[in-house]
Amino acid sequence: MRRTVMESNQDEEEGINLTPMLDVVFIMLIFFIVTASFVKEAGIDVLRPDASTAINQKNANILVAISSKNEIWIDRQKVDKQAVRGQIERLHAENPEGSVLIQADRDSESETLLAVMAAAREAKVGVSISAAIN
Amino acid sequence: MARRVDSISQAVGQAEEEAEIDLTPMLDVVFIMLIFFIVTASFLREFGVDATKPPSVQQSQSDAKSIAIKIYSSGDITIDGLNVDPRAVSAQITRRKAENPDAGIAVLAGKRAKTALVVGVIDSARDAGFRADPIPVSELQE
Repeated sequence: MRRTVMESNQDEEEGINLTPMLDVVFIMLIFFIVTASFVKEAGIDVLRPDASTAINQKNANILVAISSKNEIWIDRQKVDKQAVRGQIERLHAENPEGSVLIQADRDSESETLLAVMAAAREAKVGVSISAAIN
Repeated sequence: MARRVDSISQAVGQAEEEAEIDLTPMLDVVFIMLIFFIVTASFLREFGVDATKPPSVQQSQSDAKSIAIKIYSSGDITIDGLNVDPRAVSAQITRRKAENPDAGIAVLAGKRAKTALVVGVIDSARDAGFRADPIPVSELQE
């Protein structure tokens, strides 16, 4: 009986040692800060064309989507064909390491696709076309 | 006198040891940052094929050595002028590359050609060994 009273007294005085939890929390915090990429999604879902040789595009973070009706979407906004280059340049300035990934619908026409590719070329940014691995 | 100084310094030292820094506000901030970064984390995994649009000057130059694949708006595909089935494109490119290993490649797409066909042809070319450089895609004047 006397012993339990003593133990509970000790517990109250010492408190929980927070150091290991703090270590873990800091490591998680640093991990999430480092991996944060802040990708601006294009805003529409497209049906990607199939490609067996498609590879993981790691630093493609300028997303340009082309809908099946040949509308261009960047950063959740519908963009005019003439304004694509300006938008790509703006996003490239925000994130100089990124390259352009065109999420073109499989039923979109190549005129729009080529216009976006030309805009990326003029902005001097690398281009790849999003595909689904079949 | 000496004893008094000694006892004062002892008292100050003891007070410093006992008074620990209150970590609670810092912990609050750290947790809020942690939750913010967890919530905003988007692990984007996108797959794609590299492509490029060559400068418009190159378009008019007919390079005898390069394999020219034309995709017409109607959906027809021709390689060096010969009509080819979309499924046979990869085999045709492989054969031509074997005949002429130094050959380059050029994809020309008509204005109304579907993206699925264009990406299919790029995929076939990559499958046939053109993987090192992005595949040049330009516009086909029909």
